[in-house]
Amino acid sequence: MSSLSYLVSRLLQIIPTFLLVMVVIFLLVRMLPGDPAIAMADAKATEAQLELIRQKLGLNEPFFMQFFYFVKNTLSGDMGTSILLKAPVLDVIIERIPVTAFLTLYAVGLSILIAGPLAFVAALNKNGMLDIAIRSSFQVGLSTPVFYIGLLLLTFLAASLRLFPVGGYGTTFLEHLHHLMLPALTVALYTSAIIMRNLRSAVIEVLDAEYVQFARSKGLSRSVVLGRHVLRNALISTVTLLGLSIGALMSGTLVTETVFAVPGLGRLMLEAIFARDYPLIQGLTLTFAVMVSLVFLFTDMVQAWLDPRLRLS
Amino acid sequence: MKTFLIAALAGVSMLAINSAQAVERGGALTFARYDDSNLVDPVYADRNPDIWMVTNLYDTLLRTKADGRTIVPGLASGYQVSLDGKTVTLTLREGIKFSDGSPITPEDVKFSLERATNPDFGPWSGLLGSVESITATESGVTLAMKNPDPTIISILATFNTAIVSKAAFEAAPGATDQEKATALFAAGTPVSGPFTLKERTRGSTMTFSANPHYWRQGEDGKALPYLDEVSFIVIPDDATRILKLQAGEVNGAEFVPFSRVAELEADPAINMELYPSTRIIYAPINSRETRADGSANPMATNEARQALNYAINKDALIQLITHGTGQPMTSPLMASTTQLAHDGGPLFPYDPAKAKELAAASGLEGAEITLTTLAGSSDDATLFAAIQQMWGAIGVSVKVEQVDNATRGAKNRSGEFDVHTYGWVNDVNDPAQVAGWLGYYPTRKAVGTGWNNAEFNALYEASNTEIDPEKRSEQYLRMQEIYRDAAPLLFLYETPFAVALSANVNGYLQTPLGNNEFSSAWIAK
Repeated sequence: MSSLSYLVSRLLQIIPTFLLVMVVIFLLVRMLPGDPAIAMADAKATEAQLELIRQKLGLNEPFFMQFFYFVKNTLSGDMGTSILLKAPVLDVIIERIPVTAFLTLYAVGLSILIAGPLAFVAALNKNGMLDIAIRSSFQVGLSTPVFYIGLLLLTFLAASLRLFPVGGYGTTFLEHLHHLMLPALTVALYTSAIIMRNLRSAVIEVLDAEYVQFARSKGLSRSVVLGRHVLRNALISTVTLLGLSIGALMSGTLVTETVFAVPGLGRLMLEAIFARDYPLIQGLTLTFAVMVSLVFLFTDMVQAWLDPRLRLS
Repeated sequence: MKTFLIAALAGVSMLAINSAQAVERGGALTFARYDDSNLVDPVYADRNPDIWMVTNLYDTLLRTKADGRTIVPGLASGYQVSLDGKTVTLTLREGIKFSDGSPITPEDVKFSLERATNPDFGPWSGLLGSVESITATESGVTLAMKNPDPTIISILATFNTAIVSKAAFEAAPGATDQEKATALFAAGTPVSGPFTLKERTRGSTMTFSANPHYWRQGEDGKALPYLDEVSFIVIPDDATRILKLQAGEVNGAEFVPFSRVAELEADPAINMELYPSTRIIYAPINSRETRADGSANPMATNEARQALNYAINKDALIQLITHGTGQPMTSPLMASTTQLAHDGGPLFPYDPAKAKELAAASGLEGAEITLTTLAGSSDDATLFAAIQQMWGAIGVSVKVEQVDNATRGAKNRSGEFDVHTYGWVNDVNDPAQVAGWLGYYPTRKAVGTGWNNAEFNALYEASNTEIDPEKRSEQYLRMQEIYRDAAPLLFLYETPFAVALSANVNGYLQTPLGNNEFSSAWIAK
């Protein structure tokens, strides 16, 4: 199979995923207890005002008609109007996507920068003091709640040492880098712990592989062996894990973006859930589903590049 | 005597001069908010983050003073209510302008008030339900009333009657009034308030700049506001808002958790303010004869509900939950800052002996009551733990049911609850709104309790057309007596608005209704 047909086949696989997510989110949102009109309106709202909200949301329509309109409108790019923000859902989401994408990529970049070198150092010093020290310190990152790490970083690096701003997003690219350093680091400390452990194990396994022994016996330099043979093969499983982590990381932005006052999709999702803003919840869930699907697609493409056997199969 | 008068006048003059000198103009204030404003428009503002910002952009005909009670002239220099209460005449102040320099005319006022009375626009039209018609005159407007309305003057000092530009609305894009209002929540829109909207990034930041044509004067005799700009940053997390203030990145942070108040009060760089509010924390008690499942309701009698109230140590709750910043409720129908609030001392002071006696007499002893609390609320969790212990002492066992806000609202409306937590802040500078919410049965079943008292309902209806202040005051006194005896609520406590400001910020005010007032704020350089 050529790279292009592989890409096309993977893209087509996103369609059923997207449709399934539409069904699930439609049902889940409507299974939540409580009248959404009451949740959206102020407690002081009269019955007439509640009825107006129900009409706006089509809640008085039969269930299957609600679903039909939801699918029809979504496929035509109309995700409805947010009750909370009084603005088209699509506009709001488009405004926020760059923020969450920036934060996610920044966190992934930091995770790789932190986990990659340390995983190699730990693997090459298997069971040595350095290996134990690295693994132990990452265990702290793995077992500490993200919001707590965030608050610690904010307190020491931002409020006390004033090295970074306390939350926010900034307006220019450099300001984004500066403002998002702490939230990205908070997420990266958690993600890099997972990546480091996986990459370390993979490197140890590959180091013992026959083709690596053969490369060494051919007299190839250490750097060539590690770079060309060990790294490329060890990365295959790590790339899968990284892809999965990005999916988890996006849902993790709910907490991170709230603590660090980052105006992204995660914080918006939290606000939408609390306000029971149906159109916004549905739009955001679909957006997350598409973003995660695209990340998985990208992960698959990288894997196929690293290991041509996947492409051929 | 003459010498004394001269000395006194000189002293007053010096004070005035010192005060004027103390005010410093210019600069930008940055304020951290817990939530963003989604649509700051007088008639469509329906959430506190929107409502509490309206009067910064749009002025009202009359204004409420900082005490939250006294009404003073605003865009209208004066008003007159006819003896029969059927006509209200307002005279516009001369020379007043919108921020673009265009005059504020009687036609703008008529347009604004007609928007405010339109039941299709926003949730607040009921506040002007007594207005029959509005006529623009040469010098102002005249309101013809369907019936005398003692609240009308307060409503004309409320955000929903603030004045917008008719020309701006007519020129705005959009097919409906709401679309036009949304389009006008943007930079460059002519406004009547002390600030104009300079820029806004939805969900993140918003900046106001001074309206160069604003009419009100400051202490130095020049036009308000003192500040050039006010910037708002949305920071939902309490701890982050405070850290931002401590780091000097913002000049103010609202909704400081009460647990942090003492710490911030001790910080010399911070001025920790506790503004009196109309916020009350209470718990509706299902007062119906039977519960929703048809079983007999042990809380159906006045005595049983009084017992539940006497058994609660409010001072302890105030310490536990508000860290001493709250105070016991003294009026059963409203916060003590509300007009016509009768201060009868703390309601149902902790009296376990009396509670036990009333519980035994009313058959409450041995009952199991479900307390519905808000999931994830640490305040509610503390409240439940305390109440469980306090009611246990009078032989009442308590079960907790944790729900989200939507479910709690639905239960309140359907009556499927025993007792649940709730809070309230007045939107209007008149007790009619809160009294109607808490006690009047026909509209919201007395805040969902099902308590239905014919005398109370009749008094409430009569008070809404009673224009003799003394008679109305008597009606409210009686309503408060009835409500106290019936006790359809757990009367828990009142809380202030906790706002932390940098030590050099002066003149900022959060009114008892919650409005954020920046027009008199200034920064000492």
